[in-house]
Amino acid sequence: MTRPLDGLKILDFTHVLAGPFATRLLGDMGADVVKVNSSTRSGPMATTHPHYLMWNRNKRALAIDMSKEESRPFCRQLCERADVVIDNFSVGVLERWGVGYDTVSPSNPGVIYVQMSGMGEGGPWSDFVTYAPTIHALSGLTHLTGVPGRSDIGIGFSYNDHQAGLHSAVAILSALDCRRRTGRGQRVDMSQFEVGVNFVGPALLDYFANDHAAGPVGNRMPYDPVAPHNCYPCAGAVSENVEDERWVAIVCMNDEQWQALRGVMGNPEWSRHAKYRTAESRVENVAELDAAIADWTRQMEATKVMTICQSAGVPAGVVQTGADMAERDPQLALQKFIRSTTDEHPELGAMTVDALPLKFHGTPCDEYKRVRAVGEDNAAVLQEWLGMTAEQVQKGEEEGIFT
Amino acid sequence: MTETSGALVGVRIVDLTDERGIYGAKLLADLGADVVRPEPPGGDPLRLRGPHREGTPDGCSSLWHAFFASNRRFFCVDLTDDERCKQLQNIVEHADILLVCDGAFGFEEIDLERAREKSPKLVVVNTSSFGTEGPWKDYLAPDLVAGAFGGSVGTTGDKDTPPLKTFGELNFMLSGAYTAVAALSALYSARETGAGQVVDVPVNACIASCLEHVLMFVWYNERMMFATGPVVPRQGSLHWARTYVVMQAKGGSIMVTPTPDMMAQLMWLVEEDLHEDLLDDSYMEPGNHRAFVTKLMAILRKFVGMKDVEELFFEAQERHSPYGWVLPIDKVAANPQLEARDWWVPYRVGDVSTKGPGAPYRFSETPWSLGPYDGPGADSAVALAEIGWGEN
Repeated sequence: MTRPLDGLKILDFTHVLAGPFATRLLGDMGADVVKVNSSTRSGPMATTHPHYLMWNRNKRALAIDMSKEESRPFCRQLCERADVVIDNFSVGVLERWGVGYDTVSPSNPGVIYVQMSGMGEGGPWSDFVTYAPTIHALSGLTHLTGVPGRSDIGIGFSYNDHQAGLHSAVAILSALDCRRRTGRGQRVDMSQFEVGVNFVGPALLDYFANDHAAGPVGNRMPYDPVAPHNCYPCAGAVSENVEDERWVAIVCMNDEQWQALRGVMGNPEWSRHAKYRTAESRVENVAELDAAIADWTRQMEATKVMTICQSAGVPAGVVQTGADMAERDPQLALQKFIRSTTDEHPELGAMTVDALPLKFHGTPCDEYKRVRAVGEDNAAVLQEWLGMTAEQVQKGEEEGIFT
Repeated sequence: MTETSGALVGVRIVDLTDERGIYGAKLLADLGADVVRPEPPGGDPLRLRGPHREGTPDGCSSLWHAFFASNRRFFCVDLTDDERCKQLQNIVEHADILLVCDGAFGFEEIDLERAREKSPKLVVVNTSSFGTEGPWKDYLAPDLVAGAFGGSVGTTGDKDTPPLKTFGELNFMLSGAYTAVAALSALYSARETGAGQVVDVPVNACIASCLEHVLMFVWYNERMMFATGPVVPRQGSLHWARTYVVMQAKGGSIMVTPTPDMMAQLMWLVEEDLHEDLLDDSYMEPGNHRAFVTKLMAILRKFVGMKDVEELFFEAQERHSPYGWVLPIDKVAANPQLEARDWWVPYRVGDVSTKGPGAPYRFSETPWSLGPYDGPGADSAVALAEIGWGEN
């Protein structure tokens, strides 16, 4: 065994981001992920689109045209050989293809099915169509992430898709451990909406226990008296464009850190005022406090502010862009977070990838195979999983089954 | 904690995490693992985190802690007492998984080398801000600062706001979820091979790996329709593809998108006679898709402004358009889908009974369950008895 999940067989019917991120994680850790696709996919689901390239490395590509009745027995056999079958279609698609959990589990009792639908099975919204921005809106994440008085900001990326992927991986690995004990697989019904609502758990408990409905608070802590706790503008912008602005985040979690920050700033007169003496009073006067700190940070580059703050024990960090992380972040470089695929794409050459952020000391995960074209691994997968010969696979391709 | 029938029943975990990893311990505990959380006699410092339930006994009032430290057995350890430190070491040596965060309570007192020697299958997951080496390894990074380093803050917010933190603990909920993935993957490997191992979980890289488009634009911006360079500016709710954005309707905000079927959205506008010149053939010509999307979104803003938010949301979903009504917390709490799926679970916080979030997944054979939440050290005697130690 060279990676932690070597030998695990996963049949992957997922698309877009949440599902492919789940199977990317498992593939990075050594699972044999067979991605079922069809050559009819286009746009962001075309295999050379950047979005597809980001989420589908370390998977083998099998083409099956599920619109054909003749394809379905092969699909069923694959499900019968899998440890895990995962999809993020609307509820009921695999059942309509004759490869739902109830159909497959009698002949493969150890199989684990994970269905990552938007709303889960059952309920008045179960047929609703969702992407991550939909989930963010419905779960309260959009409303809560912003500044007071606005509910049109929200999270600037598809947070919930990634979390749904991570939670699917947790569910799969837990069900596998359970199977080791009981000999039985099971079905996991994952509602991406419920994953999202879970992230505002403390705010919901606050609502139910105290009848208090949280609202957006900008960069402040929603419940605890902590100040300063914000992002501050810095020198060094190469243009007036938003993407070129430079910012630093500074946080004083306690009075000791506040005193250290005062020292870093040279103990300015304004900071001695009684209104900044306690965390509670700093929060009460936070607008003035933030403005005074911003006057100080504007004089320096973000990296300088970060370095002198951290040297004094004050939490501070450059607000990094993607380019900062890819090109200038010494920690990510040391972690080999950004690296090249271990093989070359026939059209695109060696590809840059963001590595699995986990470092397994005993079973390192250092293999990053390029994204495969639809059906590129038909012969290998069908031979290894179903024992088919090259001729049989070729015949299936000619008949439009494996396309 | 009550008996559960979760998927991880029988897996023994010691939880020495702080905010950076505690969500991972929660995920594992809620799935039925027996998770012991040592804390000082005065109580876990995270019991001070708000929100609090007023009138609840000391140590039990934190709703934050009740959520993140659910289903734990709390074990008091006075780190100045050698005997108690030995007990902590012994508990670790009886565990399948040890979850730690550098600097968290009890971390320094554990002799990891000895524990791994005595228990070769032990999985150790170390969740830290930046990993164990490098120029920033000792930097302090609470959630906002972690999000700044990890890239989530830089891509959240609007042109007229600072870069913004996501609400609550969302950055650490990413590293927490990775903590659980790391623990379970290493456990899978240990079950197969008999060999445990250490897994490092650096928060900065965890966040950076979950930014959707951010690195995609660094590497592929020349192939992206709306890219102006390798960095997408803060632009409020406007998605990088420019086809998802929050708009103002009558009575509230709604996330609007013409995807996945732009023609269906166009036909809806035709029905409403709001399509302007969008049926013009020139929009269908190669190279004009960008102009089509830009015009479509501008018309949608007018269209949405004329509609009642609730009616628009349900009509869009009826038409299979993934619009999302921007709901405040009270409306989330009253959501009919969650109610119909019986999602909420009873929470007992101290003497108070309330309800709260249920499971993020539903297992057909091993249901998720939530036990009562207790004060500091509530389960010390039981935890010690199980490894052959008396309470004294």
